[in-house]
Amino acid sequence: MIVVAIVFLVVAAGCFLYRVLRGPSIPDRVVALDGVLSVVVSGIIVAAAEANSDITLSTVLVVSLVGFVGTVALGRFIERRGG
Amino acid sequence: MGIVAGIFLIVGSLLTMIGGIGVVRFNDLMSRVHAAAKAPTLGLLLVAIGAAIEIGSGKAVVTLLLVVVLQLFTSPVATHVLARASYGQVDIELDGGDDLAQHFAEKRAEAAEEAKAAAAAKLAERRAEPPRNHGDG
Repeated sequence: MIVVAIVFLVVAAGCFLYRVLRGPSIPDRVVALDGVLSVVVSGIIVAAAEANSDITLSTVLVVSLVGFVGTVALGRFIERRGG
Repeated sequence: MGIVAGIFLIVGSLLTMIGGIGVVRFNDLMSRVHAAAKAPTLGLLLVAIGAAIEIGSGKAVVTLLLVVVLQLFTSPVATHVLARASYGQVDIELDGGDDLAQHFAEKRAEAAEEAKAAAAAKLAERRAEPPRNHGDG
């Protein structure tokens, strides 16, 4: 059962990474990187559920906050510099 | 692995995958933002519910609740900042009228007027000053 979830997450990560590599403009890449971080967060939670332990769940908070700060910082950068 | 928790995890992952497919398939930035912002957020919510059911300890439930609430607050903010910053800098396809264009045009006109007023004030100030003596001192 957990394998199906992991396969879905791997496909999602592949899609987002395709857009990161391919994206015609910087905002596309930033959006896709945000998605990659979302996939990472979901992956950590799925791994915690499979291991049935809560010790890795604190990292989820850190990763999601770093993703938010990074996206907003890149947004300001794009606003000033142009896509 | 319980059945209910497994179903939540699978559906959440499926939603994240749908977001990824949307990011690949849609053909302009705003559609991609739409796909990348909403589907993975709901997917994360479902995955967190599944993991909370599966793990079941108090610490896990509190942490996952915090993660979900933070994600629900930060994801729209980040997406909005990004979409607004990239407006006018990338090609977008619109279905209807461009409401932001008028807003930005008004803002630009206001800024130009302010700059003009500031320049006029500076000029008047310079004229009011007595002329300096060059080379006498």
